[in-house]
Amino acid sequence: MPIRVVVVGGGAGGIGAAGGVKQAAPDAEVTVFTEFEDVAYSPCGIPYVHGREIDDFASLFLADKQAYVDAGIDIHYETRVTAIDLDRRTVHVEGPDGEIGDIPYDRLIVATGFDYADPGVPGSDLGGLYYVKNIRRAMEWDKVLDTVNRAVVVEASPLGLEMTTALAHRGIETHLIDPRPWPLADVADPDIMAPVEESWAEMGVIMHFTTKLEGFLGGDAGSVRAVATSTGELPCDLAVVCTHKQPNNTLARTAGLEIGSTGGLIVDERMETSQSGVFAAGDCVELPHGVTWVPVQGLSGSHAYAQGKVAGVNAAGRERRYSPVYVPWAMVAGKWMIGGVSFGETLAKALGIPYVVGVADGISRARYYPGVRKTRVKLLGEPGSLRLIGAQMVGGEGIKERADFLAMAVRTGITIEDLAWMENVYSPPIGALNEPIALAAQNALSRLAS
Amino acid sequence: MTRRPIRTTNLRLAGWLRRNSEHYLMEAAQADFARQVGRSLPVGPTGPSALFWRRVFVPVYRRLPWTARRRVMSRMPGSHRRAWHRPPERRDPAI
Repeated sequence: MPIRVVVVGGGAGGIGAAGGVKQAAPDAEVTVFTEFEDVAYSPCGIPYVHGREIDDFASLFLADKQAYVDAGIDIHYETRVTAIDLDRRTVHVEGPDGEIGDIPYDRLIVATGFDYADPGVPGSDLGGLYYVKNIRRAMEWDKVLDTVNRAVVVEASPLGLEMTTALAHRGIETHLIDPRPWPLADVADPDIMAPVEESWAEMGVIMHFTTKLEGFLGGDAGSVRAVATSTGELPCDLAVVCTHKQPNNTLARTAGLEIGSTGGLIVDERMETSQSGVFAAGDCVELPHGVTWVPVQGLSGSHAYAQGKVAGVNAAGRERRYSPVYVPWAMVAGKWMIGGVSFGETLAKALGIPYVVGVADGISRARYYPGVRKTRVKLLGEPGSLRLIGAQMVGGEGIKERADFLAMAVRTGITIEDLAWMENVYSPPIGALNEPIALAAQNALSRLAS
Repeated sequence: MTRRPIRTTNLRLAGWLRRNSEHYLMEAAQADFARQVGRSLPVGPTGPSALFWRRVFVPVYRRLPWTARRRVMSRMPGSHRRAWHRPPERRDPAI
């Protein structure tokens, strides 16, 4: 009899898991329940449609619904899983037309994703507050954006940075508020973010840092008319709420699965939860950080998809391991690319991690080649061994590739010394004579020598 | 394999400790860097609880050696205490 696998959630983790099961056990019965109308699209692409860099939302879909039917994956749309019975191995579901039932499973994969943290201020139930998540709602909001003259983005989180850039690119007067001293301050260092802030100013973004959200103020129609902050009111037609992504684990918690200190589900390297036969993947889980071994949560779509694959293969009875994470990240903000690996100086200082540092301002191509941009690289090494433990970058191009490379360098124990004398590609249109990573490593060694 | 369940109260306590310690340690580090680059300081919660975390917890945490901090963090319940293999270091030639 084929194994029955139920997947709760149709995001990157859930769809990766369904594919992983089918890859490992083609005859498995795979059922996916999603509360939304669609699966298999890129929610991360939504800000770029709003910003007019991408023409339409249709481009964000990776596959149509028939592709999953053809692959033997039974997806139930607009169907909510309201309970998990771990003893009876069933999930209780409610369909779009009110039909309910208990669905049995042999293996369960929880991929319930995230919710935005409640801003926790008065007026959070007003209209005109946009939480970027679902593509159908994004299509509706995109029409609203045509009527918006002034918007406030709440919190300079990764999504906040993308939405600020997108709205400014669309010609909307955009205000960004955040209680921290610079954007993305929980992740990036101030010197990395300085060029982004300069470019936002050029684009007309009005930044309000060290400014606390105090409430949303409503107008006559029940929609937001202004955002109240610690430094005054900001009139607006729309507020985009980009608060921290929290694991959506109400269902798992109620069922009795163990939750870690981050709020994410506790899993092992097979992505198996505290309950045998129940796996989890994506934004609802926490994973150990490869350097600090501290659990972290809320990573990227690529992490979620890969975790889903691992969970799916293991749920199907085969063996695959996921690794502790080193968190390479990169994104476009303003007119710059920013990125990094593991952590920067601010987070290292917060945790009290000892480190040595090297910084260099290099260039992305030969200095004479059109389009050359500054590339700043900062490397953090472990004192003594000089093993690379973190990096941060800002530049015009090549940041993502450097972040991926440096993540592997941290993971495999590469040292600052190794990087100082690394080989690098030199070709005037795509790479400078001196690789900025090598320059930063050499500067770290010089600082240590002096 | 049977796993011993972690007590719910321990998990709640760990969540509360993590949430607060992370917030106030980050706030303190951001304040230090903000001073260095001449920026305004972060704004956060006020009241007796915030005062405790800023005036007591952060200075005490900062005085502890890294090994002690690491020991405390490693004893918190979480995914890091389950089975995870560290990637092997491959320093020899491949062939």
